[in-house]
Amino acid sequence: MEAKKILIANRGEIALRIIRTIKKLGHVAVVFRSNRDKDAPYLEEADEIIDANESLQDKVIFLDADKIVELAKTHNIDMIHPGYGFLSENPDFARKCIEAGLIFIGPHPDHIYQMGIKTIAKEIAEKVGLPLVPGSKGVVKTIDEAKKIARKIGYPLLLKAAGGGGGRGMRVVENADQLERYFNAATLEALNAFGNGDLFIEKYIENPKHIEVQILGDQHGNVVHLWERECSLQRKHQKLLEEAPSPSLTDRKRSSLGKLAVKFAKALGYYSTGTIEFIMDEKKNLYFMEMNTRLQVEHPVTEEITGLDLVEWQIRIALGEKLPFKQKDIPLNGWAIECRINAEDPQNRFSPETGFIESIRFPYHPQLRIESGVTDGTYISTNFDSMLAKLIVHEKNRKKAIESMLKVLEETRITGIKTLVPFFKVVLSHPDFVKGTYTTHWIENVFQHEMLIRPEDEMIAALAASIAYAMEYLPIAGENIHIQQDNINFWVLNKRLR
Amino acid sequence: MATRYIYKRDASRLFIALSEQGKKFKIYLPQDAYPIINNEEKEITILEHKYDNFCFLWNGKKYFTHIKSKDQNKYRVIVNGVEFFFSIESISSYLRRRMLEESSDSKKTVSIQAPIPGKITNIFVAEGDLVNEGEPLFNLEAMKMQNEITSPITGIVKSIHVKVGDNVIKEQLILELSNINE
Repeated sequence: MEAKKILIANRGEIALRIIRTIKKLGHVAVVFRSNRDKDAPYLEEADEIIDANESLQDKVIFLDADKIVELAKTHNIDMIHPGYGFLSENPDFARKCIEAGLIFIGPHPDHIYQMGIKTIAKEIAEKVGLPLVPGSKGVVKTIDEAKKIARKIGYPLLLKAAGGGGGRGMRVVENADQLERYFNAATLEALNAFGNGDLFIEKYIENPKHIEVQILGDQHGNVVHLWERECSLQRKHQKLLEEAPSPSLTDRKRSSLGKLAVKFAKALGYYSTGTIEFIMDEKKNLYFMEMNTRLQVEHPVTEEITGLDLVEWQIRIALGEKLPFKQKDIPLNGWAIECRINAEDPQNRFSPETGFIESIRFPYHPQLRIESGVTDGTYISTNFDSMLAKLIVHEKNRKKAIESMLKVLEETRITGIKTLVPFFKVVLSHPDFVKGTYTTHWIENVFQHEMLIRPEDEMIAALAASIAYAMEYLPIAGENIHIQQDNINFWVLNKRLR
Repeated sequence: MATRYIYKRDASRLFIALSEQGKKFKIYLPQDAYPIINNEEKEITILEHKYDNFCFLWNGKKYFTHIKSKDQNKYRVIVNGVEFFFSIESISSYLRRRMLEESSDSKKTVSIQAPIPGKITNIFVAEGDLVNEGEPLFNLEAMKMQNEITSPITGIVKSIHVKVGDNVIKEQLILELSNINE
């Protein structure tokens, strides 16, 4: 195979992840150096670096489609990998790459476009026979129409503004008595907010779970699914922890869901990696939500249970290779869990943390995979997202995977900024997670920041504060503490506390 | 067998750490023994420290602590990625503040009186000392017998109203203790 020059239009842990596979396949890994992230660890691993030299007024390079393509051409790049986020789901970017004679590592731009518009995606899903959340076909103009639909789909139901989002013009209706009142209120709200009072009605799914199927298709019409992932631990639609397979599916449901996903991808003529997302209600009914036309942040859990390198197959498929395996050849081995180590403060409404990472240490564990984009001294700014690293464990079964992840988290040490590490310890020890019954509302309905306080940690903290106070203020400290270079010599403290 | 008392006399080594949620830790830092936290000796050792950052070892587990900020007696401490907020007081300032907040004749102060008439032959404590419950306070000689009077509480000796050699009558005030356990 001829070595290709592959440009990664991305940064952080995913750039490092893609570099690894590019090198494994014998290709050349090229990355951008952004002015906003000049000494990022991924730069050290790349074969070649292109200096983006953006000024502060410019867009960050990873969002500047024209500049990416232009620099790719002047640096003789063959292929472009968009990673996730940034321009990865921008059909114009994919098209520009192709028009410039570059190979875009991803699906066809038309598929990115179609799946990016939810109504189109849902139309196609319905044609193929995927279940959709029951609701109105199009907008509901009058209260009489709304009543008719409500009788058909039942309560609770959700009124949604056709014109926008952000919770405005949105109401959960619990029963028939509320319908007229809420319908009028939502209409008025939508009218004021979006200049359009039109509403959709759909069945309100209480306590939903998020389950998604990974598919892989080549450019010759072959599609397989790589089982599902459950990503129900979310905060404001941001996934925080993912596992594969899902604890909520039976084997039978698992393969029928996989088949549906393959059917959908085949109907599209889709190739490359893709993820078809479903929402599951309390009765375990699954409904199509949307399709993501890229590599997912949480792809490693699928790689662990199938043994397949998804980035490798993205590259091979982009080069026109045929999938050499059939559905029955796809293994499902053991259980994998991923935790996203974000620089967010779970004690303070998950607000983003900024500052220097003083030190970051992960333990050695034979079943641990670390995808990290930072190192000691990395500055976490508001320029990019807050994910520092992903920890993935793969074990024989779910129980073991939970145990190993807890052990890894217990021994993970990050100083300088606060992260989600203590939060995941709470989650993985909570009965809702252990039983696998957690839903996308778990954080808002169940989690309380007081759960982060462990009595032994609190006591040790009190001890540390007392010693610090004693060292600073007390004459007794002076009595038998030797002062050296303005610091308190440790052996005396040692003696005091032994 | 000699009775073993947890606190040594030096009250300046006793601190009260009050958490944001109102949780209280009484922490005694002895010179050459394990710390006593809420009346229990904890086998905690310091493995390393750098400035205010410690690595403790307790029950075979390491705990790294980092002082995130301090403002006078208020400390933000990070342990295992979780932030704790404490205000620290020495026991004397704590008792002083408590006395200002409450009436001084509350049950927080315990008066020790002579149970029988006699002569004070020995006083084992001084004002400001930290005493344990059951620890001897003074000897009272009566009917040629040495009676050891012990402390009914764990607390600080607030005041002593007699000296060695004094003759006392029944129910005479000998000393006052401030209760630290309330």
